[in-house]
Amino acid sequence: MERAPTEDTASGRKTMGHGTNFISTAHLSRGRISLKRGNLFGHTPAKRRILQTPRMQENADARIGFLLRKQLTLYSVTPLYRFSYDRLQEYSRQLCFVIAAEKQKGLAIHVEGDLKLKVKFSSLSVLKTSEKGQAGVLIQVTAENAGPKVVWIGCFCCTCGDDILETVMEDFTCFPLFLVNGAESLSAIIGTWLQQTFDCSFSLLTISPLNLAWMAAMWTGYKIEHHKRAMELTFSVPGTSQPLDISYAIHAEDAKALWDSIHTTQQEVRQEQVNLFMDGLCYHFYRHFKIYLSATRLVKVSTSVACVHSDGKIKILHSAYLMEILALMTELAISQIL
Amino acid sequence: MDEIVAEYIRRTVLRIPRSEMGRMLTTWGVFSENQLQSINLHQIKDKLSQEVVQLCEENGATIKHAANLDIIYNYTYRDKKVWTVYKMTKEDGDENVVFNWVDFKNRFKASLRLLLKNVTITFKKFEDNSMWIRIAWGTQFKKPNQYKPTYVVYHSQTPYVFISHSIFKNCRVLLFQALLAAANYSDIHEMDLRSRCLDSLKDIVFKRYNQNVETFNPQPLQERNSTLENVDPRIIQEDKNKKETIRKINEEDFGNGSLPKLQYAQYKLETVFKSKPEMGILNDKEPFRCLVTFSSPHLLEALKSLAPAGLATAPLSRLLTCIVPEAKNSFKITEKKSGFSHGLPDQ
Repeated sequence: MERAPTEDTASGRKTMGHGTNFISTAHLSRGRISLKRGNLFGHTPAKRRILQTPRMQENADARIGFLLRKQLTLYSVTPLYRFSYDRLQEYSRQLCFVIAAEKQKGLAIHVEGDLKLKVKFSSLSVLKTSEKGQAGVLIQVTAENAGPKVVWIGCFCCTCGDDILETVMEDFTCFPLFLVNGAESLSAIIGTWLQQTFDCSFSLLTISPLNLAWMAAMWTGYKIEHHKRAMELTFSVPGTSQPLDISYAIHAEDAKALWDSIHTTQQEVRQEQVNLFMDGLCYHFYRHFKIYLSATRLVKVSTSVACVHSDGKIKILHSAYLMEILALMTELAISQIL
Repeated sequence: MDEIVAEYIRRTVLRIPRSEMGRMLTTWGVFSENQLQSINLHQIKDKLSQEVVQLCEENGATIKHAANLDIIYNYTYRDKKVWTVYKMTKEDGDENVVFNWVDFKNRFKASLRLLLKNVTITFKKFEDNSMWIRIAWGTQFKKPNQYKPTYVVYHSQTPYVFISHSIFKNCRVLLFQALLAAANYSDIHEMDLRSRCLDSLKDIVFKRYNQNVETFNPQPLQERNSTLENVDPRIIQEDKNKKETIRKINEEDFGNGSLPKLQYAQYKLETVFKSKPEMGILNDKEPFRCLVTFSSPHLLEALKSLAPAGLATAPLSRLLTCIVPEAKNSFKITEKKSGFSHGLPDQ
């Protein structure tokens, strides 16, 4: 996605598209959320409950298939002002005009050939996890005269973000997490339109090494029957004369055996368990190579269920744990906008 | 001239950067001095390639010539490919035959053509004494595919062969047979050594890297703008001593000259998982299966700087320092009573 010229360097956030970047916290009451979640200042919590998400309905796979096995870029989004599920058709029409206009200007779009693009907003009730929860919103851009083929998707979600929903003021709708796949030029146009239309702000959801370690541990524990892949940690080594990356892939079963020996609590995962898991792996590595992995930076985690990169890119590989993954990403997105 | 040949020459010319065009066409030697003079090197590439093809047409160039130009291009840009090193061995009692290139070429061609008619074989010798062999593979019913050739680089009277491009398994067997017959060896095996930098691979297997050791002797770096008045001089001295020790240890492991260029080193670990007892977690699990890959544009330089940067202990693990001496960058590590083993016979 195109990085905006107006980069808010103070907070290290990158806005999406060009133009508006109103990070306003007026519509959230900070205190209530923090107290409720025991999560002051948006820090990673000391423990996380293991979600008891309802299994998705039958044939849900077909409806959320578009999110699987694709490189998605993650954004955190401040609450949308005056968004309404009843006006999705109207949004589709408006955005379609905007894209056509930009295309005519010939500035931003480099979609190959003379594609006729169609935009569709739709409600995604599959992503609704509770009674109070809200459905996600899917934006699809389709090239009519080439298939039709989907050339861009964006998906707003608020999976298991019920806490934050309660605190949002009237007239605001909260979708803390936005996932994108498609051409950057389209992302820039659509991002700008969304930010202007709903007076919200997008920022790239970068993921800290600490949160990556959480994912490595939690996802290793997920039971998967087929398509098991090694759990791979990629470290970037700072301060060497030449760039150096270390990939440390552990056989899925062996990684799980290690995690199972640490993770003895049924209902939750604790920070110290995650630390122990990483320390154990780093110690095993040190025993062989005499290199301190703890002094390097964890930048990527791949497991059987998903791959995540610290720069806010995710590829979800397995539908079975989609809700858990989206819930975690939503949580991280919420802590970024608070 | 064959249409395939014309098109192949045209595409090869398109790949050559403009700055190298004059030199490569001259080296190629297909055109006369006058013809070379007449080529306008400054026109757009597409036109230029057509002009070259036109001249080739006049000179009656064949696939041999076309393959030759391709070798010249790939020799210049040899670092664009990934090279794998193979080692050939002789059985005890095999006689040593006097080597000459004519016999080598004849035996190579004869061996390969015996089983595969549709194959283009081209040899070219370069100033660094390397023989480049380009093989374009066909099948019984198909003409050779000129766009996916195999390149083999060989230096006379050495057991090492450098091969680029993954080739079909059955072709690989034919190629090995031809090499063994031509160079008079009885067996060939992969050395688990790969890099983009062909010259570095040669440095490693021909053990040329050590020659640099004594030629360059850097002085320890002087601290610039150091204002350390408030620091206990004993600490400064201790720090200096430590740095000097690391530097010395590093020099023993890596030398102080330039290092061969490798892009990765890979370790398949099948060792016991041991944790500190106080961790109270999984212990003595065997094997704990891991695959560790170090990657860098210049791996050995990066590894060399680990200890000075405080990211590793000095001396560095033998697993990392043995890459050059053992001429390997792909290892399988299993547990042995006396420590880790590389699975080598002499360990």
